[in-house]
Amino acid sequence: MNTAVSFLELPARLAAWLLLAPLLPGIINRVKAWVAGRRGPPLLQLYYDLARLWRKSVVMSTLASPGFIVGPAVAWVAVAGAALLMPIGAAGGALSFRGDVLLLIYLLALARFATAWAALETGSAFEGMGAAREVSFGVLAEAALIAAVLSLSVQSGSTTLDAMLAPSAWPGAVLLASGLFAVLLAENCRVPFDDPNTHLELTMIHEAMVLDHSGPPLAVVLHGASVKLLLFAVLLSEAALPIGRLAPGAGAAALAGSVLAVTAGIGLVESFMARFAFRRVPLLLTAAFLLCLFALVLAWKGGAQ
Amino acid sequence: MSAGIMLAGAAGALALSAVAGLFLPRLWLGATVAGLAAAFWAGAAVLAGGAPWEWRGGFQVGGFAPHLQLDGLGALFLVLLAVVGACGAVYSRGYWPDQAHPRSARVGRVWWSVHVMSLGMVLLSANGLLFLVAWELFAVSGYFLVTLERQRAQARAAGWLYLAVSHVSALCLFAFFGILAARTGSWELGPMRDQPGLAPLFWLALFAFGIKAGVFPLHIWLPSAHSSAPSHVSAIMSGVSIKIGVYGILRFGGWLAVPDSAGWIVAVLGVVSAVLGVAFALGQHDLKRLLAYHSVENIGIILVGVGFAMIAAGQGDAPWGRLALAGALLHVWNHGLFKSLLFLGAGSVLHATGEREMSRLGGLWRLMPWTASLFALGAVAISGLPPLNGFVSEWLVYIGLFDASVARGAAAFASVSAIVLLALTGAMALACFTKACGVSFLGSPRSESAARAHESGPLMLGPMLALGCLCAAIGLAPVLFWPAIDRAACAWNPAWVAMGAPASLAAIGASNIALALACLAAAALLWRRVTRVGMRRAVTWDCGYAAPTARMQYTAGSFAGIITEWFAWIMDPQVQRDCPDEPFPSHASYEEHTPEVVLERVVEPAGALTMRLYAAARQLQHGRLQAYLFYIVIGLAALAAIAVMGGGR
Repeated sequence: MNTAVSFLELPARLAAWLLLAPLLPGIINRVKAWVAGRRGPPLLQLYYDLARLWRKSVVMSTLASPGFIVGPAVAWVAVAGAALLMPIGAAGGALSFRGDVLLLIYLLALARFATAWAALETGSAFEGMGAAREVSFGVLAEAALIAAVLSLSVQSGSTTLDAMLAPSAWPGAVLLASGLFAVLLAENCRVPFDDPNTHLELTMIHEAMVLDHSGPPLAVVLHGASVKLLLFAVLLSEAALPIGRLAPGAGAAALAGSVLAVTAGIGLVESFMARFAFRRVPLLLTAAFLLCLFALVLAWKGGAQ
Repeated sequence: MSAGIMLAGAAGALALSAVAGLFLPRLWLGATVAGLAAAFWAGAAVLAGGAPWEWRGGFQVGGFAPHLQLDGLGALFLVLLAVVGACGAVYSRGYWPDQAHPRSARVGRVWWSVHVMSLGMVLLSANGLLFLVAWELFAVSGYFLVTLERQRAQARAAGWLYLAVSHVSALCLFAFFGILAARTGSWELGPMRDQPGLAPLFWLALFAFGIKAGVFPLHIWLPSAHSSAPSHVSAIMSGVSIKIGVYGILRFGGWLAVPDSAGWIVAVLGVVSAVLGVAFALGQHDLKRLLAYHSVENIGIILVGVGFAMIAAGQGDAPWGRLALAGALLHVWNHGLFKSLLFLGAGSVLHATGEREMSRLGGLWRLMPWTASLFALGAVAISGLPPLNGFVSEWLVYIGLFDASVARGAAAFASVSAIVLLALTGAMALACFTKACGVSFLGSPRSESAARAHESGPLMLGPMLALGCLCAAIGLAPVLFWPAIDRAACAWNPAWVAMGAPASLAAIGASNIALALACLAAAALLWRRVTRVGMRRAVTWDCGYAAPTARMQYTAGSFAGIITEWFAWIMDPQVQRDCPDEPFPSHASYEEHTPEVVLERVVEPAGALTMRLYAAARQLQHGRLQAYLFYIVIGLAALAAIAVMGGGR
């Protein structure tokens, strides 16, 4: 464990994560609008949506248990907790200990469990479909994620996120970044795995799971999803670039720039690609897994020389 | 010395309970719980730092002197046995009452006491013959417990398979202890690492104990036995009995010199069991059978830790081996706790609805809120999710494997593969338990019996609550349990000295507490917000469809379909479909069934072939005297030929 975190640092970090996260979907939408030549929704649209949803009343399925409300809350806490573990440049994570990377991965798994649970509450075939897809594709995404984490671990010789995310640039970083980018797209339900804009339930994953949510629980779901997106963008940036080695100011600037670039990249992918057929989703995820695995092999062999 | 008195008291109380079980159910319950509490005390005293207990009888029974001992490793399993045995005994009073089962309830109580006592004896034996006697008693009492409901053909078949496979295991153990005794000249057991000539015997032990543990290709008896037995029996079999197989592997992997490749083989068996166990679990539609396959998976996770500990021992006691072993040992406890909890939960569902098929359940949370919540707790724990205990032990195994990978030694190649496959296993276990919980407890009831379910009584809920609390306790304060685990690890490898808990384990405990509190707070806040803004109920939105029915819900098969398709190469799902074809189809059906691949595709054909060979050989015996005389003449001629040709020597 590192030194005691000062009382102010934890709330400040949490506030930064929670307040900045809803910006990302706004940026993606602006990029998509720009490519399509439209004006697009305001940058802060998600903030408006969240504020409105928080005030709206709730319609709940007659079949749903209190787990329908508890599920989104647990998922949100798990994602926020995972975000707190992420190191921010040279400042490190709010809580850092050996093996914290596994806690991060399993917190994301907890979020998946809670979301899928809440989805199954309603007994709707569509939400069952969405939950089944989420947990099934999650298997491949988790394998890819752990292969990525393992390559960082082998490269840096550590199992602490702080040390793992601060290696100097190495050839495997390119492979790792591309693999992680695919995992990011899958875990955050973006094109080509899922289409966040579609309204055809049969083709959706994440949106199908939250069809029946409304009001504050939906706000929590949407906000949690944006935090998760930011988390993956930060993870991808720090895994690919030696941000932890830079001076604090430069590091923060590099991190912000890189997160922006990743976000814009997602927008561009969504503008130029169509969603894949479901049969091909596992193939793409397997490809992402293989990329991470190759990065692992490079890390292993590179260090042995 | 207090451990000895406690153990004697435990033996006396359990012997009393075996008699009382016939006539006095209350006395049986009291004696069983008291005896197990004493055994718990003895085990806890050894784990808390007391000296290992040892007792040699000064007399001889049938030519050998009894020799008992309890060290850290045995105590770890004994404590688990005491907890699960007591919880199961209390549960059985509500689940299998005399009113409903006048004959089998009595018999079941007696065999329960015998089973628990023989399990304890196996853990205490330090003498080969005693071990075999206890082992046989344990196997046979298990058979009677599995077939308590013997009016059902399914239970009889499961019991028969269990008995047959148990005896294959017992035969191997007879050979193992026999050869061991012949080589060492005594039936005494104990550390004998200084005799490298005994190393090949480990394979025999691995096979015998692997059968008992339910390691993947040897698990053929496990799904049917665990699903056909009454649920409190399933709980102790899955929670404790199969762990005795792990105990055997650990015990003789620690006492004997092992072959160099032993650790690798154990680790490979572990990984295969983990991945295929969970894959087969996903293909099951029967709630208890699904849980049974998860035992195969979790035994796999335990064996991965054990295997890497053995690899590390062969590489100059690398420190990561100790972490992996600690994870495996803690997982022995954890799996014992949450799997018993889940089996008891499944038993409550079976008791309330009479259904084990998930496709006939659904919506049970409304009628059985406690059972549903406790089952959900067990599901979170077994999926290895924070903040519960499954996460802590899996984390320890992972950390050991990560350290092995980072060390880039000879084991790194294996550990890297093991990590990726364990991650795959964890994610599939999550998928499987969202399926099991979602289909059984959420949504709307799919059958009349599910709609008329009722909550279980306090005798059934109490043990489940106790097991759930223990799961939470290990998850939230793992540091408290570390010394016990460490003591067992030191008993396994005497070269190790006691070590304090790793600092990061304390951090995991703190994070788990913070996570649990934050989840509670967030859920309470959100619930308050929802009540403040107002909530109304409406029918589930099904894409505008106005009259949803329960049959439109996602089923267990459709939920798991995506993943089971990936494993079709080994699971070989059998599909019978009758597609609708006319404009107004009158009939359509779809049925999917996952066979027991190893049993039906390998063991049964091999058995049938053997039977055919013997049937062919039986042609020789037909009752015609002339032919028999002819055989004798040929035999004599052959002997004469040998005598004449070999006569020169």
